[in-house]
Amino acid sequence: MTKPQLSVRGLGKSFGGLVALHDVSFEVAAGQIVGVMGANGAGKTTLFSLIAGNTRPTAGEVHFEGRPITGLRADQICRLGIARTFQIVKPFPMLTVLENLRTAAMFGKARIHDPHEADAVSRSVLQEVGLAPMEHQLAATLTLSGQKRLEIARAVATGAGLIMLDEVMAGLTPTEVAQMLQTLRRLQSTRGFTLLVIEHVMRALMELCGHIVVLHHGELIAQGTPTEIADNPQVLSVYFGDQK
Amino acid sequence: MKDLCPNHGWTLLWITCLTCLGALPFLANDYLVGVGLTLLMWLALTQSWCVLSKMAGYVSLGHVVFFGLGAYLVVVTWQQIPLVLAVLGAGVLSALVAALVGLPVLRVRGPYFVILTFGLAELVKYTLTWIESASGMASRILFGAPDLRVIYFSMFALALAAVALLTWVGNSRFGHGLRSLRENEEAAETLGVPVVRYKLMAFVLGAAIPGMVGAIMALRSTYFVVGQVFDPMISVTVIAMAILGGGDNARGPLLGVIFLTLLSELLWANAPLLYMVILGAILIVFVLLVPNGLIGLLEGRRAAASASAGKPP
Amino acid sequence: MTVLETLLSGQLLFAALVTGSLYALIALGLNLVYGTMRMLNVAHGDLVMLGAYGAFAAFTLLGISPLLAAPAIAAVGGLLGYGLYRGIFRKILAGGSSTTAVRLESNSLLLFFGLSIILQNATALAFTPNNRAYNYLDTVYRVGDVAMTGNRLATLLIAGTLCIGMALFLARSVLGLAMRAVIERREAAHIVGVNVDRVQWLSFVLGFGSAALAGVLVSMLGQFSPFSGFPFTIAGFIVIILGGLGNVMAGLLAAVLLGLIETYGVALTSANMRSVLLYGAFVAALLLFPNGLFARRAAAR
Repeated sequence: MTKPQLSVRGLGKSFGGLVALHDVSFEVAAGQIVGVMGANGAGKTTLFSLIAGNTRPTAGEVHFEGRPITGLRADQICRLGIARTFQIVKPFPMLTVLENLRTAAMFGKARIHDPHEADAVSRSVLQEVGLAPMEHQLAATLTLSGQKRLEIARAVATGAGLIMLDEVMAGLTPTEVAQMLQTLRRLQSTRGFTLLVIEHVMRALMELCGHIVVLHHGELIAQGTPTEIADNPQVLSVYFGDQK
Repeated sequence: MKDLCPNHGWTLLWITCLTCLGALPFLANDYLVGVGLTLLMWLALTQSWCVLSKMAGYVSLGHVVFFGLGAYLVVVTWQQIPLVLAVLGAGVLSALVAALVGLPVLRVRGPYFVILTFGLAELVKYTLTWIESASGMASRILFGAPDLRVIYFSMFALALAAVALLTWVGNSRFGHGLRSLRENEEAAETLGVPVVRYKLMAFVLGAAIPGMVGAIMALRSTYFVVGQVFDPMISVTVIAMAILGGGDNARGPLLGVIFLTLLSELLWANAPLLYMVILGAILIVFVLLVPNGLIGLLEGRRAAASASAGKPP
Repeated sequence: MTVLETLLSGQLLFAALVTGSLYALIALGLNLVYGTMRMLNVAHGDLVMLGAYGAFAAFTLLGISPLLAAPAIAAVGGLLGYGLYRGIFRKILAGGSSTTAVRLESNSLLLFFGLSIILQNATALAFTPNNRAYNYLDTVYRVGDVAMTGNRLATLLIAGTLCIGMALFLARSVLGLAMRAVIERREAAHIVGVNVDRVQWLSFVLGFGSAALAGVLVSMLGQFSPFSGFPFTIAGFIVIILGGLGNVMAGLLAAVLLGLIETYGVALTSANMRSVLLYGAFVAALLLFPNGLFARRAAAR
């Protein structure tokens, strides 16, 4: 591909004796929607934490838009244009929905200093995720689905060029999943950011993503289009056992 | 009226308080001026405490350490450098100490931060006590301290500065960052808030004023004992006032300070132990039952719980 | 005395062991209460102080020897713990992640601080804020160079026996194992069938009772005031931080170590250094373990 937006090379993370991630390499082009697949404990969230700067890698490098970002702090990486959501949502509970986004708009890549401008940007994002009516509600009072949308809205409001979503469909009903897919597609097409998505909900992965990366026991065992992955013998043997 | 124009009620309250306090030395006797001075002192201490502890949520039980250091500096440089320099120096010293210990200390979270700050303040107290006794000074007496009115108006200026500081922080982008890291530090950092730097800045900003307050109060009592200026009850009283008042802007501390200063004036002369018991009870009751303080009761749950950016003091 | 003479002094060693045994007993109780509650009970030392005043009152007003009064005072302490558990903490602990419980955890320290202030000043109201003391078991026994008063010997024996007894109980008995399990990971203990409620109130009873008992011993050793409880709280926390939460054996060692540092440190420098050493150790321990006591088990919550 032409200069990739995100490039991960030989990335690894060990916690003492436990190897969470080992020698993971892949690239993501700007504007792609890439899925990250794997069983629990495969290292998916660790991968996100390493890219976003929440943890430091013990091996390997990460490059974003041409510059190395390995070992930078999370806030520095956010300012460069990478935002993520958390598997277990982390809202600012006693701030309002609008105030939650205000933080993102003020401190993320967009770096808007004026609170009114920040709020205007926040409101437009809230509109797109359907949280606009809850603008003045405390984040703690939202339902789980609402908090997940808040998590996504915050990431979008940073103005990031790469957004990493960690299992945003978990715990949602099929209807909510469909709504979420719609919202994500809409957001992505209007704002043009790249999406990296961890998902267990197969339907979401297959429908949303143009490219999928498969992790297993901390290693990257396959990558390709959804069809290629669905036919990949290694992936199949990992998920369904050996086929004779 | 409060429902129609809530801010006007507060503006009126502020103007009234400031006018009364400003005019006090010209109208009242020395005793009342003393009470006013005490009130201004607590106002300055509590407002400055809130910059870190209310906005960023790192509750410090060691605020007295800056107060004590400021007093100590004045006493140690007594009549060797101009007083104004000593007082300003006290502020600078406190800010420097905060900058130095801030990085390791602010890595500690939650209740451990609370007892750590307490332990630090006690450590400084006992170290200075040991130094003083080792050099033969059990206590010091200062002769030639300035007039009560000079002290009063200096404290007035400090209290004003503290209110202005907290209000400015509360309405700034910096303040919003602090509130965000209070609510969830990891999420705030992931959204771009430079949490380590901001915590340290809040700590340092909140340290300068108590240093100068301590410096000025050393002039007031003219009899200096280390144990008194590092008394942990000063830290506890500041917390009680802030919790009693509630909220994370300048309004809550005003209410808390007024209430507790008056209570202590009523009880201190005759029943100081009873006052302490009540203080303890206030801590318990407000932490358990009235977490948003008097402000919470007055302004309703939502206004007190959420950020109050954009509000005047 | 030269430094070497100081270090080799049997007298000082004896004093250090007495102090260490007291710290161990107090830390053990704090381990149980804190480990169960997960809240920093800064009022623990004040329980010790109350035990001391209980023994004082028993001795000076009723003429009952502290050793006789000790079981009763410990029982009262245990009852208090039981009452507090049933009355307040059981609900909070079972509350899970309700907003009250979450908010309480972060403000719990202030809560206990308020309690501590009330206990200290209420006691001062009742007994005056001045130092109190009484004479009991004053006879001095000499073994070689070492002069040991009866009360110090008794303290060492009683505290030491209790500590070792409790340590064995926690390490060997089924109930003790259950208690350690609850301290380490409550939800998991519940899942494997531990009667968490029973274990918790038992922890409270033992924790409060041992604090009160320690107080009786303290009252025999010298002066005390309504405000002398706090340094014991600090010492207790130092021991727990150094030894690790729930790790009884390491706690015993840490307590003796602290006793040694304090006693020898004071002997080598001056009495004023006692608090500097104590709080210095406290600050250092907290800074070295910034995650407090959960550094080794971050997922415990």
